[in-house]
Amino acid sequence: MFALIKREIQDHLVYFIAAAVFSALLVLVLVEAVFKYDSRNPPVISISLGVAFAAIVTLGICGMGASQMYLDKSRRISAFLSTLPVSRSRILLARITAGILAILILLVPLAITAIFLLRLFTPPIPLYSGMVWEIFTATFLLALACYCIGLQTGWNSSAITPSLGGLGLTCIFVPLVVVKGLGPEIMVILASFIAASLFRTWHNFSSTSL
Amino acid sequence: MQIRIDNASGRAVYQQIINQIKRDIALGRLIKDEKLPTVRQLAAQLAINPNTIAKAYRQLEQEGIIVTRPGAGAFVASLDSSLSEAVKMRVISEELERIVVEAFHMQIDSQTLLEWFGSAVEKFNLSAKKPPSEITTGEQSNE
Amino acid sequence: MNENVIQVENLVKYYDGRCVLDGIDFAVPRGCIYGLLGRNGAGKTTIIRILLGLEPPTRGRTTLLEADSTSLPAKIRGRIGCVAEGHNLIQSYKVSRLIRLCKDLSLQWNDELFNRLIETFRLPADRRVRELSIGMRAQLNLSLAMAIDPELLILDDPTLGLDTVARRQFLELAIDIIQKQGRTILFCSHILSDVERIADRIGILAAGKLVVDCPLEQLKERVRKLRVIFPEAAPANLYLTEIVNQQIEGREMVITVANWNSQKQAILETFKPSSCTEIPMSLEDIFIECTRPSAEPLEVA
Repeated sequence: MFALIKREIQDHLVYFIAAAVFSALLVLVLVEAVFKYDSRNPPVISISLGVAFAAIVTLGICGMGASQMYLDKSRRISAFLSTLPVSRSRILLARITAGILAILILLVPLAITAIFLLRLFTPPIPLYSGMVWEIFTATFLLALACYCIGLQTGWNSSAITPSLGGLGLTCIFVPLVVVKGLGPEIMVILASFIAASLFRTWHNFSSTSL
Repeated sequence: MQIRIDNASGRAVYQQIINQIKRDIALGRLIKDEKLPTVRQLAAQLAINPNTIAKAYRQLEQEGIIVTRPGAGAFVASLDSSLSEAVKMRVISEELERIVVEAFHMQIDSQTLLEWFGSAVEKFNLSAKKPPSEITTGEQSNE
Repeated sequence: MNENVIQVENLVKYYDGRCVLDGIDFAVPRGCIYGLLGRNGAGKTTIIRILLGLEPPTRGRTTLLEADSTSLPAKIRGRIGCVAEGHNLIQSYKVSRLIRLCKDLSLQWNDELFNRLIETFRLPADRRVRELSIGMRAQLNLSLAMAIDPELLILDDPTLGLDTVARRQFLELAIDIIQKQGRTILFCSHILSDVERIADRIGILAAGKLVVDCPLEQLKERVRKLRVIFPEAAPANLYLTEIVNQQIEGREMVITVANWNSQKQAILETFKPSSCTEIPMSLEDIFIECTRPSAEPLEVA
């Protein structure tokens, strides 16, 4: 199993590096926004920069999922792996684990920074305890949902279409988040979507001809 | 022991092995009590399925040309012991008849045929009254 | 334990509405080397892909080591070594990385054997797979398949791209494997002389059907090609069964018959031929006869 995950990471190293880089960038933006925060002058530049990064990251996560599947198909990686004593489910599991790892690399530093900043400063909006965790989990699920779209569509098409799909998803989910907030309802919706998407991907992957 | 398998020939591989072992014995390249390679050795050497070799050895043993001693292997037999005169006559007569039929179809007269037969007998040096260690594969050497 | 390592039952496969396999039945017993023959596009690769679970059958069932092909558990897969058509290795990897991957994921690995093979074949470890010649990829594939000490070897055209020496090395390897207890090999090849050397049983695939499935030596004994000359024009119908092929030209008839026996000999003789000679058939000849479009399936008993 470890060997499979290692293989996935090695093959898609660029995404992991990008995740680390964007994580650092977002941390910088966040820190800058908080330090420079002035209730009279909201840090518009930082926020718009942050949103831009977030959009790129969303596309990137979707693209990673798609790229993992697409590369597999075009380089016939699973076709070869199938000759070894690994089941297709394990291959898929390793793949998803690698994806989750990338997402975590992206989000965890942000979360840590947020917690740290909260200790230092009082936030402008009232936060209740555990809110960071909620936001973190919801964001994680959102990222995972984008990733799942990438996975699902990547097997059959090039890398471009799923990225657009990810964009489309963001367009659906962001208003949803704005309306409902990053709360438990969002998490349930996202979790159901992720479960359904993963199941469909697994089913397709298990029965496709290699 | 050098055995060559001819893939273009219509003969089964095991038959070719049998024929070549018989020929080697007839020409004195294999002598009485000489140890033959094991099935495994020959299979590995020729890159041929061991079952084929085993079959060849089995048939050679049935015909009394080799003997297998358990634990020791296969050896060239002293050839006069197991086959009776009647069996020998039958085997040789069948071969002879086959040749005569061929000759008939090629319209070869009996004089010429006997001449050719004589020279083949000479080639293999069949002695007047057969000592035990000689056997002939016949006057035709088609493998 | 079931004696049959591979079992194919009523296998049917359609591709885009075209029937590629039309009811294939055969079994490969343990310890056997089975040679699957057929012209290009006959369906040999399809059978192997279905056996390995790379593709689902349209109908029918295939089992490897008593497990259904469509759901081979990893443990069973680990006992099977395979070389697929075109040697599908991951082209973009370096050879050393590919070897590492196989080593890590295999259930058992015979390092000593593998290194010996790599040395014999002189395979470079630091080049990418796609930079190797076809022959070297073939040898790499074979080495990987054999290094896991497989109980069952399934090889699709394993000598593709190999030079004469390498081909002979492969044959010797195959014999080496089969001499070990309980090993089985299924392979396809176009080099019939190779098949003739090492196969126990032969299957010939033509027009979606297995027209021949029997031990090799039986095949040669039972299929006879005769050149019969009649005093007058050759009769159109000899009332013989199991005629694989028949060609008439004036007084001469060349006929290929399966399961030749004394009965058929007797029937032939009632037509009073002036001569009847046997034309020796090599496996290649038999193969060509059996894969003619008009050929009838041989029931070589």
